[in-house]
Amino acid sequence: MEKLDIPQGTLDLMILTILVREPMHGYGVSQRLAALSRGEFQVNPGSLFPSLYRLEQDGKLNAEWRPTENNRRAKYYRLTAAGKRQLEQHRERWSRATFAVTCVLEGA
Amino acid sequence: MTLLHRLRSIVLWIARRNSAERDLNDELQAFVDMTAADKVRAGATPAEARRLAVLELGGLEQIKEQVRSGRHGGWLDVAGRDVSYGLRQVRRNPAFFGVAIATLALGIGGLTAMYSTFDAVLIRPLPYTEADRLVMIWDALAKTDITSKGNSTPAEWIEWRRLNTVFTDLAATQPGDATLSGDGDPEQVPSRKVTWTFWSVLGTPPTLGRVFTEDEDLKRVRVVVISYGLWQRRYGGAPDIIGRKISLNDEAYEVIGVMPRSFYFMPSREIDLWMPASFPEWMRANFTWHDAQIVARLKPGITLQQARQAMTSLSLQVTAKDFRGPHSVIVTPLREEIAGKTQTALILLLSASVALLLIACVNLTNILLSRGAARRREVAVRLALGAGRGRLVRQFLTESLVLAALGTLTGLALAVPAMRFLERLVPEAMSAGRVTLDWRVLAFSTAVAIAAAVTFGLAPALRGSRVAPQEGLGGGRGTAGARSHAFQHSLIVVETALAVVLLVCGGLLLQTFRHLRNTDLGFKSERLLTFETPLFRYQDFDRRIAFVNAEIENVRAIPGVVSAGAINVIPFTNTATATFYLLEGQPKNGFVGQVALIRNVSRDYFATIGAQLREGRFFTASDRKSSLRVAIVNELFANRHFAGRSALGQRFKFGQLDDDGHWFTIVGVLKSIPESGVLEETKPAVYRVRDQCEQIDDLSAGIVVRTAVEPASIVPAVRQAIWSLDRNQPLARIQTMEALVDRQLSTPSQSTTLLGAFAFLALLLASLGIYGVLSYAVTQRTNEIGVRMALGATAGRILVSVGRRGLELTLCGLAIGLVLAVIASRLMTALLYGFRPDYAATVAVVSVVLVGIAAAACFVPARRASRIDPVLALRHE
Repeated sequence: MEKLDIPQGTLDLMILTILVREPMHGYGVSQRLAALSRGEFQVNPGSLFPSLYRLEQDGKLNAEWRPTENNRRAKYYRLTAAGKRQLEQHRERWSRATFAVTCVLEGA
Repeated sequence: MTLLHRLRSIVLWIARRNSAERDLNDELQAFVDMTAADKVRAGATPAEARRLAVLELGGLEQIKEQVRSGRHGGWLDVAGRDVSYGLRQVRRNPAFFGVAIATLALGIGGLTAMYSTFDAVLIRPLPYTEADRLVMIWDALAKTDITSKGNSTPAEWIEWRRLNTVFTDLAATQPGDATLSGDGDPEQVPSRKVTWTFWSVLGTPPTLGRVFTEDEDLKRVRVVVISYGLWQRRYGGAPDIIGRKISLNDEAYEVIGVMPRSFYFMPSREIDLWMPASFPEWMRANFTWHDAQIVARLKPGITLQQARQAMTSLSLQVTAKDFRGPHSVIVTPLREEIAGKTQTALILLLSASVALLLIACVNLTNILLSRGAARRREVAVRLALGAGRGRLVRQFLTESLVLAALGTLTGLALAVPAMRFLERLVPEAMSAGRVTLDWRVLAFSTAVAIAAAVTFGLAPALRGSRVAPQEGLGGGRGTAGARSHAFQHSLIVVETALAVVLLVCGGLLLQTFRHLRNTDLGFKSERLLTFETPLFRYQDFDRRIAFVNAEIENVRAIPGVVSAGAINVIPFTNTATATFYLLEGQPKNGFVGQVALIRNVSRDYFATIGAQLREGRFFTASDRKSSLRVAIVNELFANRHFAGRSALGQRFKFGQLDDDGHWFTIVGVLKSIPESGVLEETKPAVYRVRDQCEQIDDLSAGIVVRTAVEPASIVPAVRQAIWSLDRNQPLARIQTMEALVDRQLSTPSQSTTLLGAFAFLALLLASLGIYGVLSYAVTQRTNEIGVRMALGATAGRILVSVGRRGLELTLCGLAIGLVLAVIASRLMTALLYGFRPDYAATVAVVSVVLVGIAAAACFVPARRASRIDPVLALRHE
């Protein structure tokens, strides 16, 4: 089945959501995203990494190099306090937006 | 995110760029490794897993690029990368970029130097309050021969001040050079007598002390304001100068103020003293005493045009009862007055330097276009690897900017010494040494450099980035399309046309300069020393005559001196001293418009300067005070009134024209001497012997010395000779006659040299441009030419076919340039000083030179084309 495009502006929200549970590296984020979306979303590294770097530069994420469970070195991203605040704001706005869209769709 | 935070993060990113780059690389590697590991776990072979993982990642470099440009300040990073790439290109092709940078340096350096001069003379504020509200007012003596723009009279100043409605105030200044003595060597100091309103009209406060008041002016109090220069030079900047008494013309004046260093005013930056005008009573009502220059400040809201109208009608009203008839006035902005003819010269030269820069840009465009074609493969590779077209255009433009920056730096290095030369273009009425490379000029050069980079870089960038990857990678032989040729060819036409305009204008100026240089002075100017000895110390007429005679005697006794003579106004130093005259038999009102220069000379003056007689005799010892009053006139005067018959024995009056005036009998006709200067029209002139003049005419004696040795070498001896007569006698304006001649020619000589240089460089660059484009075309067409030769075309035919294209373009540019040159030469009429250069000859010479040089530029590549070996050319395939 054809994969869905990630809706505009939601990639940051999903990255933050995945990372709020535990710090993770880029590959982990892409795998988790695919799994959580039941395979509907497949994030392209060309979108994922620019997003991660921008969030890091904006102070929403911290990064550190750590060994993985398979003893490789990987760059782990962790949410900062600012990142948590942004996640809450975005989540709330997202729920309102999806609710509004649903209302429109069902009311029509 | 706040701006500050954002800035900080940009700075941090740039500071940590290298480690961040490594991070990114490692992270992407890790991504590939983990993807591959998962695939192996799912059953793929390690090699297969790795291949799939790389595929899944997409282009490694593309992702890096997206990450880089995605973050804040990413553009900076990218620009930095482009700049260093550009610099690497420069290092790799030193010859190519050397030519490009030198071309640009000439263009930008020339424009910067010209602009700084232009800025100093025409843009920078003058040292007065709201200087653009200041105007000068001149009498319009249009009916006279001498000048249409004459000095005004103090009496007019008084009336204008009383009756005008357009000025807040007016000020009058009069010549008043004074002898400063008592506190060092006697010195003749350039000075002006000014009305008390001078200070309020200009609005420049003194740097020390105060200026004088209305009361001091009217009550003839002896006070004086001095220049910063005089204060430093003669008084060592002594702070107690205020209140000190100095001796001016043997009278004690109190120094009450020192003007700022930047202050100067018409007619010359050399004025060192300003004293109260204190007009004597007889002058206040005399409407014929034309020795005042008037400066006035426009009332707020009054335009120049309104002031002109108001002053014209006021002047006609004020002079309604003038026995010469009423006259109008000319009102001009002060800035225009100060800049004078330099304005036209500067505008012309600035335009020329802009044209030169345009030519330089055109050449660079052509060079870069050719280079762009050579870089097609590189561009194709980068496009294939995922670079966007916008990204490539940006990179090419950055390279152009790098080129422009290097060219500008080199250009500035050239401009600084050029400015020292250009300083001589600053008019005499302006303060000296003001041409500098300040931030305004630097800002200008930077703007020019960016504009130039876009001008010459944009077309090659757009064209160079438009490559289809498969085409660029496939053939490797790429032939530029016809369109690209047409574009390059039109550029050649443009630069040739510009060069033609500069060459024609330069040719016209050169002819004019040669004409001026060869003006017949009517005497022998070499080995003549001139100086002035003011005679205020000898109020008695007979003592003046005696003193000057003694001066001449003493100077003549100096070894190396052949002869010496005296004249009231040394040639080329003053245009004013003139008078109305009336010929015998003319009706009383027939004199209107008859004005002649008037000069009083010693008997041996004409012999000393080597003047030539056309008719009659020079003055002799028999022409004494008591004998028949005689005069010598110049040829112009004689021809005007006595054409076809002898002027000898004719009589005329001048100065005092009524019945009390004396008749002068013409005893000689002189070959005309351009007394007011070679740039001015020669005027009718009357000479009389000193002994027969009125006392008032001889305020200062100019002494002219003919030497057998280098004139400057006798200056110390001359000083001693005069000081042995009177230790307090100053000598002013000691200079050789040749220096006087040269000084007049300084503006024409400068503008001719500069325009000539610009024209030469333009020609050089244009021919380089033609050469470059043709050579490039030959390189590109090697195959085609090879095929044609293999099919039987002779070397001669190839030579003609390649060379003809270049010559066609040259002729096309020549035609357009000649049309533009007609327009340009109209704009420079003021620089031709009334001379009519031979336009046809200029055009002919320029055409021959241009076609000749262009032919040479075409011949070299054409010949190379004709020598192509078909076998080698085709193997090239």
